[in-house]
Amino acid sequence: MPIDLNQEEPQIRELRTRSVTGYDGTLKDITQQGCCGCLKNKKRCFTTGSYCTHLPAITSVLGLPDTLVVDHAPIGCCGVEMTFSGGYSMNEPFAPGEYRDNVRMFTSKLTESDTVFGGEEKLKEVVRGAFHRHHPKEIYIATSCTSSIIGEDVGAAAAEMTEELGIPVTVLGAAGMRSNLWSVGFEAHFHSVGKTRFRAPEKKTDTIVYAGFASVASEAVEPIFKKLGLDMAFLTAGSTKEDYEKACTARVSFGQCDVDASYILTYLEQEYGVKYFHLHQPNGGIGFERFMRDLGGYLGREKEAEEIIREEREKYREKIEELKPLLKGKTALVALGAGYAFEMVRMLKELGMEAVHAVSFHYDPLIDATEDRTARSPVADAEELGIDYPVTVNNAQEMENYLIVKKYKPDIVVTRAHGAGSWSAFTGVPCLDPGLGINIIGYRGLYLFADALASSFRNTAVFDALKARYVSPFTDEFEALPPHSFYAKAGEEGVPHKPYKKSGEEVLSWERIADSPARSSRE
Amino acid sequence: MGENSGFSCPEQQRVGCGLGGIYTALSIGGVLPVLHSGPGCIHAMNSVLSLSNGGQNPVPFMELSVPCSNLSEEDVVFGAGGKIRSVLEHALRYYKAEIFLIITGCSAEIIGEDMQEVADEFSTPEKTVLPVALPGFKGNNVWGHGQILSALIDGFVEPYGERGTVKGRVNVLGVVPFYDPMWAGTLERLECLLKQIGLEPNILYGRDKGIQELKRIPTAEFNLVLAPWTDLDAAKKLKRKFGTPYVHFPYMPVGPTAEAELIRVLTETAALDVQKTESIIKDRTDRYFYYFDRNLNWLFDMHNQRSLPREFFANTSASAALSITKYLVWDLGLSPRKIFIPEDVPKKHQPGVRDLFLQTAKGYLKEEDIVFTDDGGLFEQYLKDVDQTVRKSAVFGSIWDDITAKKANMPFVPVGTPYGDNLICDKNYFGTDGALCLMADLYNDAEKKGLLSAVI
Ligand code: SF4
Repeated sequence: MPIDLNQEEPQIRELRTRSVTGYDGTLKDITQQGCCGCLKNKKRCFTTGSYCTHLPAITSVLGLPDTLVVDHAPIGCCGVEMTFSGGYSMNEPFAPGEYRDNVRMFTSKLTESDTVFGGEEKLKEVVRGAFHRHHPKEIYIATSCTSSIIGEDVGAAAAEMTEELGIPVTVLGAAGMRSNLWSVGFEAHFHSVGKTRFRAPEKKTDTIVYAGFASVASEAVEPIFKKLGLDMAFLTAGSTKEDYEKACTARVSFGQCDVDASYILTYLEQEYGVKYFHLHQPNGGIGFERFMRDLGGYLGREKEAEEIIREEREKYREKIEELKPLLKGKTALVALGAGYAFEMVRMLKELGMEAVHAVSFHYDPLIDATEDRTARSPVADAEELGIDYPVTVNNAQEMENYLIVKKYKPDIVVTRAHGAGSWSAFTGVPCLDPGLGINIIGYRGLYLFADALASSFRNTAVFDALKARYVSPFTDEFEALPPHSFYAKAGEEGVPHKPYKKSGEEVLSWERIADSPARSSRE
Repeated sequence: MGENSGFSCPEQQRVGCGLGGIYTALSIGGVLPVLHSGPGCIHAMNSVLSLSNGGQNPVPFMELSVPCSNLSEEDVVFGAGGKIRSVLEHALRYYKAEIFLIITGCSAEIIGEDMQEVADEFSTPEKTVLPVALPGFKGNNVWGHGQILSALIDGFVEPYGERGTVKGRVNVLGVVPFYDPMWAGTLERLECLLKQIGLEPNILYGRDKGIQELKRIPTAEFNLVLAPWTDLDAAKKLKRKFGTPYVHFPYMPVGPTAEAELIRVLTETAALDVQKTESIIKDRTDRYFYYFDRNLNWLFDMHNQRSLPREFFANTSASAALSITKYLVWDLGLSPRKIFIPEDVPKKHQPGVRDLFLQTAKGYLKEEDIVFTDDGGLFEQYLKDVDQTVRKSAVFGSIWDDITAKKANMPFVPVGTPYGDNLICDKNYFGTDGALCLMADLYNDAEKKGLLSAVI
């Protein structure tokens, strides 16, 4: 289905890309099931807190220059923004000595009476107040669970404010309960900003678009694309209106990962013919070579692409070879988002390490760009490289990950930002944030990763000390569980121990919910 | 427009929502919140109250191990009683805890299912299950903290608490764990001091605190509230339930004057050995001035008085603002210019809090200088119109004010939530020892910003 930015917010991934958050098996199995369209989501009868779309949607928009966000929510929800902005945007580097402004984050602070009588007037007041305080060029109004449950017409308020204030005021779809995947917030951000900023280009330029969280380390890749005659345009959480306009003129594009970037890059391809490369992500050496060949082939610059590959390989060969003996035979467990988990496993293998298990925070059988279910990067790895390993899919279910780490006893857990690192360190297993974005691209990325891994193994004193002290706060019953113990039993689908009888009539169960018309009509 | 007229324009988040009250639960060993909320609520709290608040997470139950029903759209339509029961049932089996709190956030509250019924169903003599409604649309995390305390008192302390009175035992109230970013270090220091003067402090939060401390609550000789307004309601409740009197000492002491005042109040209340407590006061004050005197060259000779910050603004919780006001005004010789309190202090407490500031500020503040608001960004706006050529003032606030202060080239010290994306460890400004640390932080920041000079 084509992407339609005229809608208020993106369709959720469960429907668009048939994404799941409950699975355990292997890479071969999940990719095959994904390809044949028979991958089913497993539901859980026990869950822990996770993330929601609010965080990625809001933090991505807050870093954009001259914009502000009004959260149409009760007072707590906009707290998510502190994690990645810490009061100001860290998304893009800033000139030394110059101080950024605080990010501009407002809340309509919905109260109990607003949930009854509506909060639209109040919302408009805050939008006006925010506008007069900071004079932004764009305003985004984030929706929330509460605003959507009580049925606020945020779109109408945004349209009215656009008219009144003379700047674009756009809805930002950020109601967490719409999806089990927080990553829907990434595309919500691109959806709303793209809607505000994209313009049909007057002419095409030799530009390659990179979409990702940030353009950090752009200096490492710009010269590479220059050799193919391409300038870069960045669509990130710090992009300007001009960046968005330049992106429309581009010939080709790629993203930091297909979770963050596929939605918007698919749109650019669909509307402005910007060819999107997604089958092979340029991460690590293998990924880089495959990606460069795809790109060079498309541009008719195969020779230059081969030259670049040779140069990059040579530049880091010795450095990487020196580190390899330190990594040899070490085992790793990966727990990352769907766009990175499989990529990092391949990079670990490239370095001679063994990936004993990968936890992916969700899995997409489809990508926005095509109906072809085989055109997925994990599928390419399984088929082209013939690799296979155990895979779990969960939306940062840390109690499950705890048991997985316990079972596999890896030498290191490669993870970031969703709790698995804290728990593996607490229990004494070394962990490492592998880096992301441009910093994992190509042989340079492989070298940085190898170096970080080697340093992690050099001195594990801190983890050893934690291990010696660790006392589990969980019961023996829990500690004895096999890793995937929280799936609702077959036929039960999460029916609790004691079925809930609502005022003595019907039994509510997750099974019923799963089979409800709301769900089946979307299939 | 009704209640919306005159509505302010809240920016710069400095509180969590009611659900942030779970940090109080997570600071008491053996208590586990089980969330009945959207999947992201925990993270919204985590960002403001823990991660960006001095990099502190609760232990042992770090946020992402907290059970949660992760409500979705379907649940709102079809009900979620089954879901929370299932999550709770597993939580009871998997976590070493004795008190399980079913915490309902906004979406669960809008669905409106009866959680008391669920709690009753799962409570056993060994494991207490209590419902606590903490939707963000009802209040902020300070309100949430009060709700948690109140639920624990009613649902656990009253039925299971010890009885009788233990002489010298004192429950410490007033601190909101995590929301006071220095809560852990502060409470440890306070505990030491109270023990030193001959009391038996019963502190509820932090290392090694838990069920036992909760059970002891009814046996205290008196309750000590160390805050301008937080926990006053809890103290009144304890008085009603157990007849325990309370002492309201309105700030966590920072500096020699406040510390001595507290010790003297406690000496009188608990009829402690005056000679002993006076000698403790003298010893601690002497120590403070020994270290203070060692800075005289730096403070008053090299960096002359003219360039030291002599005035200050605060933009933080009433508790933090009052504590530092006491120290800065009474010991360090600074004067307050304006105090912003962006924490939605309940209307009924505002007059009392205002009076406390007026008294503590020794006449340097007028009534209109104490600003109750829910808008953390108000101070930044206010500052735009303040002429700073001759009156460079210090700023005490949160990470948001860090940037405001940097841009205005004013010395800055974080004292409130969100403290910053840095590590707070056991840092505290408690008493005489803590005051030295606060003084160093203040003048070091002024020095780092090039504000202190011998030649201006
Ligand atoms: S305000 Fe409501 S929905 Fe938002 S984080 Fe708090 S409880 Fe959750």
